[in-house]
Amino acid sequence: MFALTVLYDPDCGLCRRAHEWLADQPKIVEMKFVPCASEDARRRYPKLDHELTKKDLTVIGEDGAVYFGPKGWLMVLWALSRYREWSYRLSSPELLPTTKRVVSAISQNRYQIGRAAGLTR
Amino acid sequence: MTIGITTYLIYLAISIALTIWVARTLHKNGRVFLVDVFHGNEALADSVNHLLVVGFYLINFGYVSMALKLGYVINNAQEGIEALSVKIGMVLIVLGGMHFFNLFVFSRMRRRTTNHHNPPVAPDAFTAVQEG
Repeated sequence: MFALTVLYDPDCGLCRRAHEWLADQPKIVEMKFVPCASEDARRRYPKLDHELTKKDLTVIGEDGAVYFGPKGWLMVLWALSRYREWSYRLSSPELLPTTKRVVSAISQNRYQIGRAAGLTR
Repeated sequence: MTIGITTYLIYLAISIALTIWVARTLHKNGRVFLVDVFHGNEALADSVNHLLVVGFYLINFGYVSMALKLGYVINNAQEGIEALSVKIGMVLIVLGGMHFFNLFVFSRMRRRTTNHHNPPVAPDAFTAVQEG
């Protein structure tokens, strides 16, 4: 697997900010950013449940492996050379439940967090 | 030669011999480790090994030289031996600390290269990919 496709929510300020941050990070694995449920996404992944991808971050490998929600976040960390260690640390059996809870909480409240931080369109 | 000077000379001789011995041990046994870390690239392993040993020598000789001064006058052989044992003890502790630090560096390098390719989590599902 040499590249990851990241399906992100283009309507969320926090996600756009995260996208900008990711663009500057040195990467081990190439990442392609595609707005979720867009034409492009539907053409590339005809069998994927695109309604579900609107709910949380979805990362897809070149081989079609789908990482949804917290797993998607971990895969993004794994792709960054500075944070690969962290992806293993946060996915260890001791920390994975906490990681999932925290990431889900952020993800579900992303519009409110974005607004509170002044990251509107 | 006064007892003070004799103490200094014995201190230097023992410290230098100890440093050389530890550095050689590190150099000899660390090589296998580094060759593994650098995936069998022996030239690179030897180069890093040599650089580590140079750093090791510099820090230890630096410490030995700075810790030489006693600061008080030694009157008899007993005081000389006591002063010597404190000084040598400190050198041994510093050498031990450096040695463990080196081991730490080695193990960190090793960990960095192992277990570094697999994704941290298993995928939730597989989907068909339409190229282009």
